Amino acid sequence: MNATEIILAIQENIARVIKGKPHVIEMSLVALLARGHLLLEDVPGVGKTTLAHSLARSLDCSFKRIQFTSDLLPSDIVGVSIFNRQKQAFEFMPGPIFANIVLADEINRTTPKTQSSLLEAMSEAQISFDNKTYPLNQPFMVIATQNPAEYHGTFPLPESQLDRFLMRLRIGYPSPEEEKKVLHRSQLLHPAEELQPLLTAHDVLLLQEQVDHVLMEESITDYLLAIVQCTRQSDLLSLGVSTRGALALSRAAKALSLVRGRTFCLPDDIKELAPIVLSHRIMVARTQGIRQRSFEQAERIIQDLVESIPVPV
Amino acid sequence: MPFDQALRFASIWLASTSFIGLALGAGLPEWLAALTGAALIVAFLRNRGHKSVERLARFSPISPAGWNLLVIVGFLGFWVDMLWVSGELLPAGIHFLMILMIIKLFNLKLRRDYLHLYAISLVAILASGSLTTDLWYLPIFLLYLLAGVWTLLLFQLTKHPEETQVLTMSGTVRSQASASVHLVTPQFFWLANGLAFATFGLTLAIFFTVPRVSAGFYQKGVGENMRTSGFSETVNLGEIGPIKRDPSVVMRVELADGSPNKADGLYLRGVAFDQYDGKAWTNRLGYRRSVNEDGTGAFVLLGNRSAAPARLGETIRQNILLEPLDTPVLFAAPFIERVSGKFPSVQSDLTGSAYLPFPSSSRIEYSVLSRSNPVLPADLSSEPSLYPESFTRHFLQIPVQSERIAILAKEVTHTQRATFDKVHAIQSFLAHNFHYSLDAPLAELNHPLEEFLFSRKTGYCEHYATAMVMMLRTVGIPARLVTGFLATEWNEYGNYYLVRQQDAHAWVEVYLPHSGWITMDPTPPSLESVGSNSPAWHALGRMMDTVRLQWSRFFVQYSAADQLAVVRELKAGGTSARNKALDSMGTLFNPFMAMVGGIKEYVFNGTISSLAEVLGLALIGLAFFLWLGIKRPWAKAMAGKKTTRDQQPIVQLYGRMIGHLARKGISKPASSPPLEFVRLTQERWRDAGSAVGSITELYCRARFGQISPTRAELSLAEGHLRYLMALHKP
Repeated sequence: MNATEIILAIQENIARVIKGKPHVIEMSLVALLARGHLLLEDVPGVGKTTLAHSLARSLDCSFKRIQFTSDLLPSDIVGVSIFNRQKQAFEFMPGPIFANIVLADEINRTTPKTQSSLLEAMSEAQISFDNKTYPLNQPFMVIATQNPAEYHGTFPLPESQLDRFLMRLRIGYPSPEEEKKVLHRSQLLHPAEELQPLLTAHDVLLLQEQVDHVLMEESITDYLLAIVQCTRQSDLLSLGVSTRGALALSRAAKALSLVRGRTFCLPDDIKELAPIVLSHRIMVARTQGIRQRSFEQAERIIQDLVESIPVPV
Repeated sequence: MPFDQALRFASIWLASTSFIGLALGAGLPEWLAALTGAALIVAFLRNRGHKSVERLARFSPISPAGWNLLVIVGFLGFWVDMLWVSGELLPAGIHFLMILMIIKLFNLKLRRDYLHLYAISLVAILASGSLTTDLWYLPIFLLYLLAGVWTLLLFQLTKHPEETQVLTMSGTVRSQASASVHLVTPQFFWLANGLAFATFGLTLAIFFTVPRVSAGFYQKGVGENMRTSGFSETVNLGEIGPIKRDPSVVMRVELADGSPNKADGLYLRGVAFDQYDGKAWTNRLGYRRSVNEDGTGAFVLLGNRSAAPARLGETIRQNILLEPLDTPVLFAAPFIERVSGKFPSVQSDLTGSAYLPFPSSSRIEYSVLSRSNPVLPADLSSEPSLYPESFTRHFLQIPVQSERIAILAKEVTHTQRATFDKVHAIQSFLAHNFHYSLDAPLAELNHPLEEFLFSRKTGYCEHYATAMVMMLRTVGIPARLVTGFLATEWNEYGNYYLVRQQDAHAWVEVYLPHSGWITMDPTPPSLESVGSNSPAWHALGRMMDTVRLQWSRFFVQYSAADQLAVVRELKAGGTSARNKALDSMGTLFNPFMAMVGGIKEYVFNGTISSLAEVLGLALIGLAFFLWLGIKRPWAKAMAGKKTTRDQQPIVQLYGRMIGHLARKGISKPASSPPLEFVRLTQERWRDAGSAVGSITELYCRARFGQISPTRAELSLAEGHLRYLMALHKP
């Protein structure tokens, strides 16, 4: 089975659980293959957790879920040192972050202190604790969810934290037909539990390596940079896309090419990914109204910007 | 046209130009020229894919070993040829070269065969270049250069099948043998031609400015001098007639003081004769002495100082370019006073003619100051007088059998008393009572002059002039016959007289006691003309002659001295242009003027000699080229355009598709990437969707994936495009 077929199989696998959302499934795989982290932002009950769960189940990987609450402490994520009487020494007890796929549920419910404990894990894939550095499992992916509708008692993620997510996705409500299928399914078991793993952790690492070999032609790189440059100069935005953002878009485009069975990137990839990869990395200028942090508005602005940039021919 | 086919065409073209060059320059034997030509045509037709030729070639009875044997036979033939047949290395080598070319043309299979063909062509064009200095070599060489650039480019761009391998993602090596299609695009076409002409221009610049050390090894050998007649010690009457139909160019005469009086023509005096024996003229005064040089490089002929005390004679300064003739005579308008040219020495005889020590084997250029003798008033009324015996022996000599002529002369002149009037009477008698024709077979007769005067009354310049001299002498007036050329053909493009063999002429010089020798011509203007009659043709011919002359002057005989002259001229022009620019700048930036002037003085009035400047320029040029080669400033620009080669055809095809769709009302927005555009097209024109989709897919693979489409894929895409073009949009 080659890369394309495997990826297709995983998508079909997840699609058995998440009905009518092939695009979201595809993008979550892109995030996985691009060694990125995923931020799912949507109202409760549309399958955010289920998506993360099914993805983890499809891979033969360890999966941990952390429910973020206002009293969650960094040690609840990273782990604690406990005194071992027999050894007469402190012993590090790894927290739930030491898994391949970590679901950070309701990430904006916890305090910034706890949120930032994820920072190092997400960018360097390692944890420093008690002057010691512990590497995390590979592959490592954080899937965080947050609820945009409810702001009471939340701590919005800071820009630095947001920047570490490869993409921000919305799932959205399914169509009535798809919803009907969901209702008809037997509810005895969590649907994700039925899934069979298709890939080992090692396979995922191989796939991630293949992403690096995807060809991005020079003119496409220029196109990408033109988009990034445009966000930095636009009057609509008070903060443009960082270099990490450009890197993320490039990696995501390569991963998307692989997911779609190509060995090279197309301008289409960049154009399609730009809103979901870049929209959470920008700050909309205050002149654009009070709903500054609105997801839709940022996405729309990015879309408009992309439409203004000529595609290489 | 695919690159492979274009390469084959260009190779045959290359071989053809070098063959034509050799055929024109070396005078190949007819059978060899015909054979080579046939081989070239067959090779060309095979490349065009003519079936019958291909079949013929397949039935070729000669095996590879047979071809090798042929080469050996050809080599043996070369030795035989060199030792016994042509007896020289160069012609034998050229014949062998042609045989090699024929054999190669029938065996063009591998790439190294092509390389061999190029080497043979190179040697052939070099050989033809060393054998000729004619103008036709220029177009042939230009064609060769063009073909050379094409073949080199194409040879580099077409690759071995094993050279085209593509590293795929999985790390394995995938062969793309014959998969990629290279087409000769218009851009490529113009690039190649532009390169060729740029090369030519650069070479020309180098030719004119970069100093050369010495001439090449293959200097043109001693050519055959043009035969002419009428300028030797003895000239039979009627000898000039035959060459009066020969249009080959003998010399070109520039007048230093502007354009001439065209109606008269210009008499170019060669040799004078004093003795006539009834059939032939002899120059008894032909003893030649060396002429002294006056220190400025000019040779002064003292004997020609005018006899007239008041030097009223009209001076004519001429620059003469004389083709190699079989006579050492230096032609010029009468009478030569000074000759200057690149001669070691000049001789003159007692009749005032100038000679080289021996005939020149190459074209020579010299300038002459001549002064004609005017008829002084004292001579207009003087009567025939007595002359010393040493003078009468030469210029009043009469052959024995000329009583009839004496009677005729007396008849013509008895009404006149003055010498000058008698001369005029005889001249007009001859001019009006006789008939000019080149068809007079008088030379074979025993008494050609009597025949001319009394029975046929038809002849040409020699007969007229001889008759006049004899008649003058019988009435006691000293006279002599002069041969030379009468230049009448003025080339308005080059501003010179073009003198041909057919302009050979004979006329009379009459001695008047006070004035000296006076030029008289009894021959009426000829009504016959030789060659084509259309004035347009004449003008074209004159123009061509000018071009030929410039070619010879500026290229064939271009020397280091000329180079220095060009550089000096450039420098002078450059300095004046600089001065002008500085002047105009000075009015604008007065404060800077002093400083700029100081620098200018320092730079241009320094001790740098022009040669050093040339060398410096050459070094700077060399450094520039080295810099270009090392830094490769274009490499950066090229890096982003990797598509220019393999992907070109499909990218162009995609462009045509986009253009076609735009004409159909579906134009591609600038911000729309390829796949998005396919969806857009499918929405708006369902039938076109699949064709557009498949072309776009190929395009994306080639353009962004760097995977060249195969020939089959490309033709499929072309089919899709044709389908799209034919499709009717609802």
